[in-house]
Amino acid sequence: MKPGAHGSAQAGVRRRPLIAAAGSALMLAPLAARAATSLHVTVAEYSNATGPYFMQMAKEFEAANPGVTVHIDVVSWDTLLQTLQTDISGGVTPDLSIIGTRWLLTFVKDGVAEPLDHFMTPAFRDRFIGTFLEPGEINGTVYGLPIAASARAMFYNTEMLTKAGFPDGPKTWDDVVAASRKIKAAGGYGFGLQGKEIETDVYWYYALWSYGGELIDKQGKAAFDSPAGIKALTLYQMMVQQGLTQPGVTDYTREDVQNLFKQGRVGMMITAPFLINQIAAEAPKLQYGICPVPRGTTSATYAVTDSIVMFGNSHAKDTAWKFLDFLFTKGPRVQFNKNEGFLPTIKAVATDPYFADNPRLQVFVKLLPVAQFAPTVPGWEGMAQAVVDAVQSVYLGKATPQAALKLAAEQADRALKQG
Amino acid sequence: MPRAAVPWLLIGPSLVLAVVVIFYPFVEIVDLSLHDVSPFGIVRGFVGLANYAGALADPVFQGAVLRTLEWTAAVVGGTVLISLPVALVLAEDFHGRGIARTLVLLPWSISLAMAAIVWLWSFNGDYGMVNAVLQQVGLIAKPVQWMARGSTAFPVEIGVGILVSIPFTVTILVGGLASIPGEIYEAARIDGAGPFAQFRWMTLPLLRPFVTIAVVLNMIYVFNSFPIIWVMTEGGPDNSTHILVTYLYELAFRIGQPGLAAAVSVAMLAIVSAITMVYLRLEEREAA
Repeated sequence: MKPGAHGSAQAGVRRRPLIAAAGSALMLAPLAARAATSLHVTVAEYSNATGPYFMQMAKEFEAANPGVTVHIDVVSWDTLLQTLQTDISGGVTPDLSIIGTRWLLTFVKDGVAEPLDHFMTPAFRDRFIGTFLEPGEINGTVYGLPIAASARAMFYNTEMLTKAGFPDGPKTWDDVVAASRKIKAAGGYGFGLQGKEIETDVYWYYALWSYGGELIDKQGKAAFDSPAGIKALTLYQMMVQQGLTQPGVTDYTREDVQNLFKQGRVGMMITAPFLINQIAAEAPKLQYGICPVPRGTTSATYAVTDSIVMFGNSHAKDTAWKFLDFLFTKGPRVQFNKNEGFLPTIKAVATDPYFADNPRLQVFVKLLPVAQFAPTVPGWEGMAQAVVDAVQSVYLGKATPQAALKLAAEQADRALKQG
Repeated sequence: MPRAAVPWLLIGPSLVLAVVVIFYPFVEIVDLSLHDVSPFGIVRGFVGLANYAGALADPVFQGAVLRTLEWTAAVVGGTVLISLPVALVLAEDFHGRGIARTLVLLPWSISLAMAAIVWLWSFNGDYGMVNAVLQQVGLIAKPVQWMARGSTAFPVEIGVGILVSIPFTVTILVGGLASIPGEIYEAARIDGAGPFAQFRWMTLPLLRPFVTIAVVLNMIYVFNSFPIIWVMTEGGPDNSTHILVTYLYELAFRIGQPGLAAAVSVAMLAIVSAITMVYLRLEEREAA
């Protein structure tokens, strides 16, 4: 499953680390006698730039550390879980891997992730923006470092929204509805609503959180079938029914809605900063603005990190750490964040002019204090699926928000218990 | 060497192969299905039949079972119904038959996933050619979002399933028709049998074993066919197009429940074996 921070979903080249590992082990056998260290790193493909970037980093690291060979395996987000499953159950893991942070708890529970605290000096820890280090911490121990981070905000088509009377973008959900009515009357689609595949649940959490709702309560039980949740889902249901969204929302993935936005056919949508890079490349003439996720009763957004972890059975932990240490220095991080359009996770990058003077990215950065991170709970994927089914059944007109959310909460509770 | 050892020696290699590629994974899957397995494949503990009970109680599983039967029956039935006349035509001798046969068989060389992607684009609600054509002919007033609901998406998927199964089925049937000797038709004509009588009382019964093969093989392929539905709808929206194999993939590699997925796959094996056996038994009885 593609966790949230991933880039545009281009079908990537899938390599099988297992086979690759076996192959290179054979080739390296004579070298091993000369005490060479080889490092295997599985990286998730955020965009076409991800593979070349990590290959480049590997080359630079090899040049600075003679005797070390770094093998990069690029895996698409769609197959990452499957790849790691094969590696872990077969006992042939890479040394380092990028994972969705929400898998981390299971990694720790299964005892496959290496705690990183004993490598981390206070100076190293201080490199990070604190908010982004927290999700990688389990019971006070750091297991994953934030390799990618993003938050969400609303993109709006300036021309359409100006005509509708909201030149600075909508502030509240009422504004969204009012603007969508005008846009619809003018023949466009108002609010782009994602209804298919990965993150269909998240698209509804934006509204849930902005009405003060929460996903999971303190006892670890599903809490999204609250009045806030029903209000949020009723809002989306109303917009679907009145044709304020694009038609047939359950046929639109996030990428599909982004495409509508790039074509100037949809007025507003909520997504991650990487759309900025995509628009610059594919629709440079598009006039658009970015504003916070609309308010319901409060202001909120979704933030998500992906982590890079070290596997407990790595044979080259010190070298692996050295590579991590190198990745999290300013040069490599600036390059990565520019390529992928993610938010800075270390302070040195945040103060780099590219980010500090970028008004569009600053909208996302300013939202971080009210950002909700995906709770690190086992069974998250099961809960997400239950919510996706629920919102889809409402968008399709098959169920009421109340009934759909109640059913989803029951399913989610089962998933959360199971882990 | 004792005589009795020779046959064993001869079938030995294929037996070993069968054990390695069929028996070993099968035992592993059954073993997994009896355990609690972490999303990343770590076996946590023995749970007995809990995974099976969990699957049976799951409404998505129940829906997927029914839909799998629907899917298999519709695709296999549709394929045979269309392939039979196509094969009859291709068995006739006419100018350009070679080209016609090639054209019918060509889609076979396209991977299922590729075919599914092409059809997904064709049925796209915004810029698909299906909507464009239907609108131009005036059959629909505004674009239809085909993939947005199961009631339209699933029939489309069945249609694609039929299309990609035709080449294989036609091949079997054309081969079957070629094995029927021409003389008996001459004899029938002399006895005054018209074309329909010839088809009904000669071609069809003689073709029967080949139809049976086509049905059984297609049934097994289609029952387990993953790419079309996964590429076009991933079993959604709201689980309305899941068949068992897409559901089990989702369980194992999206939701992260390999134990439950293993139980579903064992159940699938049981179902497909049962259907095949019942069908073959019925066929035997009718043939006798």
